[in-house]
Amino acid sequence: MFILNPLIETFDLSYAYRTGSDRQVQALREVNMHVRQGEILAITGQNGSGKSTLARHFNGLLTPDEGEVLISGLSTSSRENIPSIRKTVGMVFQNPDNQLVSSIVEEDIAFGPENLGLPPDIIRKRVDHALLTLNLEHLRQESPNQLSEGQKQLVAIAGVLAMRPKCIVMDEPTAHLDPRSRREVIDNILRLNREEEITIILLTHYMNEVVHCDRMIVMDQGFIMMEGTPTEIFYQDGKILDYGLDFPVATRLARSLKLHGIDLDDNIIHTREIVERLCQLK
Amino acid sequence: MELTKNITLGVYLPGNTAVHRLDPRTKIIASTILIVILLLINSYQAYGYFFLFISAVIAAAGIPPGYALRGLKPMLPVLVLMWAFQLFLHSSPDADVIFSWWIFSATDAGLHLGNMITLRVLFLFTVTTILTLTTSIVSLTDGLESLLRPLKKIGLPTQELVMTMVIALRFVLILAEELDKIVKAQMARGVAFDRGNFIQKTRKIFPVFLPLFINAFRRAEDLIVAMESRSYTGGKGRTKMKTLHMGRVDIACILIILLFTGLMVLTIFT
Repeated sequence: MFILNPLIETFDLSYAYRTGSDRQVQALREVNMHVRQGEILAITGQNGSGKSTLARHFNGLLTPDEGEVLISGLSTSSRENIPSIRKTVGMVFQNPDNQLVSSIVEEDIAFGPENLGLPPDIIRKRVDHALLTLNLEHLRQESPNQLSEGQKQLVAIAGVLAMRPKCIVMDEPTAHLDPRSRREVIDNILRLNREEEITIILLTHYMNEVVHCDRMIVMDQGFIMMEGTPTEIFYQDGKILDYGLDFPVATRLARSLKLHGIDLDDNIIHTREIVERLCQLK
Repeated sequence: MELTKNITLGVYLPGNTAVHRLDPRTKIIASTILIVILLLINSYQAYGYFFLFISAVIAAAGIPPGYALRGLKPMLPVLVLMWAFQLFLHSSPDADVIFSWWIFSATDAGLHLGNMITLRVLFLFTVTTILTLTTSIVSLTDGLESLLRPLKKIGLPTQELVMTMVIALRFVLILAEELDKIVKAQMARGVAFDRGNFIQKTRKIFPVFLPLFINAFRRAEDLIVAMESRSYTGGKGRTKMKTLHMGRVDIACILIILLFTGLMVLTIFT
């Protein structure tokens, strides 16, 4: 299969966690997937489906037991590629408290560029740009301890952004947040994709976040079960329920209204869409 | 937090005075010199000079005197105890006894020694408090890293040590909050931390620290993964966004400290 502009490709990727001398848990089984330059890809699946393990292969935190992962054509299996791969693919994790290093926001954002060995004035420029992009300028001298969880997560994203990656992998960045901060973080992620042209890989449980993505992958027990646009996948008669997931609110509402004889399309996934359709019914 | 209300040591008081603007290296060196002087002082006259000097620094740094003194409050019982120990337990054959009671007798030599040691501890505390009140933790560690850099030649991993300090400082508050959470969770399940004798109380602490340690290790693991994915590979090849500069204020400060040192040396040794 030929894919235009593949940023990340995996070929028959398998990985197992060793939990003792002779026991192991197979986390990924022959995964073949790709990420296109510039897209937003959602990876979903219930806990233990292997999505976090897969994400950790994208910047060489884990390397395949079998198969291969290519980042811009570079294999993660050879050690000398790792620095360049980590510059290409940045990662944001679930708990912001466990990924911030410094007691001052701007110092923390500078941590990544400092590791790259950039000259001080360039680091300063990148930090300023990251603060501006995520609207964090007023917090630059604050301590992360004083920020809300949502703000902390934005600082973590800014820290990755300052390294100028082509792609940012977000491992359930909103799992610890309240609904309002969740919305704010997602809006910022979408904006990074639109304005900074950064490829986004979003791992999430929330189907209302998935609907904003260009493409989605559904994982279960280490396999990729489904792949396609959110509309395609939610349209497939409830198959997604088999993998412990649910429909977005709009789709659920549309389906139950249809059972009650209200004429609606099946492929509604956005809340805005269903509001518009319902208003047209009158 | 109730616990931190009276603690001024280690707290940073933001400001924009000349003292705040000094290079952290200047401040660390100056404080070290002042501490060495304190260890040598042995007369009331010298303490008088020292007091005047420190008052001038506190005024120049714009620290409210009440604030500087409040930090001493929790130390008061220890200071009084120390003073009393010196007063009663110091014995020398030719000392005049001021008064005696039961087996204790206070001598004038003991009184002098007690006063000296108490004043010394008081001023040591004040000097370090001024340093931390006027210098943010981050610039303190930056200064320390720069001052320790020569030790790298003999194999001391200075950058890594300072990085460890920076991270420790960030996680102190997080772990304190977590401790609070665990204590409350146990209280909710009926553990009464304030009841029982000393041994019973101590035994109740263990079930609190175990989850705290486990969580700390888990956090450490997460942090390592996050740092690694942000390209951290140790101190080698790392640059800094903020570089330190010694300016005219720093030269002026060092001159003042040298002059003061000269004055103190004269009073101590004559």
